[in-house]
Amino acid sequence: MSWSMGIDIGSAYSKGVITRDFDLAASHIILSGANYRASAEAIRAELIANAGLNPSDVTHAAATGSGADNVPFATRKVSDIVCTARGTNHVFPRARTVIDIGSQSARVVKLDEEGTVTNFTISERCAAGSGRFVEVIANVLRVNLNDFSSLAARSKNPITFSTGCAVFGESEAITRVSEDVPKEDIAAGVNKALAGKISSLVKKLKLEQPCAVCGGGALNAALITAIEEELHTKLLVPLQPQLVTAIGAAIIAATSAISESGQH
Amino acid sequence: MKQSASRTHGQLLYFAGIDIGSTMTKVVLTDESGNLLAVIKGHTGPEHRRLANEVMQQALDRARLSIGDISYIVATGYGRLNVPFADRQITELSCHARGVSSLFANVRTAIDIGGQDAKCMKITGGKLIDFVMNDRCAAGTGRFLEVTAATLGIRLEDMGDISLKATKKVKISSMCTIFAQQEVVALLSQGEKPENILAGLHDALASRVAALARRLGLEPDVVLTGGVAKNAGMVRAMRESLECEILIPGDPLITGALGAAILANEAYTKAAAAGSALPVKPRRLQEATFYGQEQT
Repeated sequence: MSWSMGIDIGSAYSKGVITRDFDLAASHIILSGANYRASAEAIRAELIANAGLNPSDVTHAAATGSGADNVPFATRKVSDIVCTARGTNHVFPRARTVIDIGSQSARVVKLDEEGTVTNFTISERCAAGSGRFVEVIANVLRVNLNDFSSLAARSKNPITFSTGCAVFGESEAITRVSEDVPKEDIAAGVNKALAGKISSLVKKLKLEQPCAVCGGGALNAALITAIEEELHTKLLVPLQPQLVTAIGAAIIAATSAISESGQH
Repeated sequence: MKQSASRTHGQLLYFAGIDIGSTMTKVVLTDESGNLLAVIKGHTGPEHRRLANEVMQQALDRARLSIGDISYIVATGYGRLNVPFADRQITELSCHARGVSSLFANVRTAIDIGGQDAKCMKITGGKLIDFVMNDRCAAGTGRFLEVTAATLGIRLEDMGDISLKATKKVKISSMCTIFAQQEVVALLSQGEKPENILAGLHDALASRVAALARRLGLEPDVVLTGGVAKNAGMVRAMRESLECEILIPGDPLITGALGAAILANEAYTKAAAAGSALPVKPRRLQEATFYGQEQT
């Protein structure tokens, strides 16, 4: 029996999983905060306790995400693109494209039947092209992120943002609120705007079906519906989309464990 | 009452320019000779966009005039369509070009950095020849400094002077204002000094605006206007980025409104000389409405 750990330190949340022989055994998610190192240690302790293990049972751990350098116990560091592809392949073996909607970036990765990356593109320079746009507008609307999707889904008349910038979009949302535009229409409007940006990112790479989504942004079901409308295709949504990249990291760690034991 | 008020001022004609910017609403009142009678600046804000009438009233009070005394009123700025008492709307580009030219006869390049956009104008003989602008990304506008000043807990009006105390410039790597905000928090937690971060922020904005201006071709004299021109740190950063001398008006906020008042005067005078009169709106100060239902 082999236990592996995958730690994905993102800009907003840090995610960790333990796999046992490639199956998910434990998972944990916390806010990344300012101290990535402390977050990584906290996740590790929680994962080991959840899985009922001793720290020495987990021999291999892979770190990924923008804070991957801050995982002192990692036995290797892997690019998040590679981990997202591998994790997606694990969850949806047939997927050939995956859209990862993070808080600070949106990434589109194309992968083959073995979960190897064949192409990718990233939008990370502009908050309006990432999940952050939704966070900014949710804050204006004073809506909890967990309730954002159901709010947006009630809209019959989404607003069209006149700007492609999240800062200007924030002001525009404030103006719309002061003009008594229903909150759901503003929420649906930002989903529509973000869906437009993400879809054009996908089209740059040429969509290959089936297409999956992952990352925290994939919890926003109304956003996924908006992307489906833009792309004219159904998207595969994992049960826990935030964990996909961490799962990929754990599987890569487990694979290296096997190849090392083979060498001995 | 209002009619008699205009008579007590003899035969003098008065003109008004109102510039509704994203952050500030500016009103300039002049007489027919172009003398400034009142200059009033008020905050625009989301709720106050419709309250242009209040800023106009303050200007009239200052000049001891009533709205009925004003022969012609030009509105400009992004909120210019929300001014029910304005006789004509003119783009802020034309108004800025006119206003800047009236202050600096030799201006060839005017750069206006506002709270919501940045405009670079090429001017020859007081006329606008060409322009480029950024109103798509907050990181190339005054908003970039507004947001990051708030993150640093520093008042917008203080940030320029504080940035001049920097001993080094901390490079800001984020393009996006929102990501830069996050970067500032991280830099503070790494122990970087606020003044050094500020110097880096000023540099980041200046280099983006300079890149915009270079697309037009930079010709002296270069004049910098807009609220950002009041920030000494930003003026220095712009000088460094553009590698040239920069002229600043005494009040860099009002060139748009000033240009609007001058254009109002010119349009009225031209029509009068041709023996015709320009149509004017009812001389009644009222709030702007957004939906048109109260506009008659």
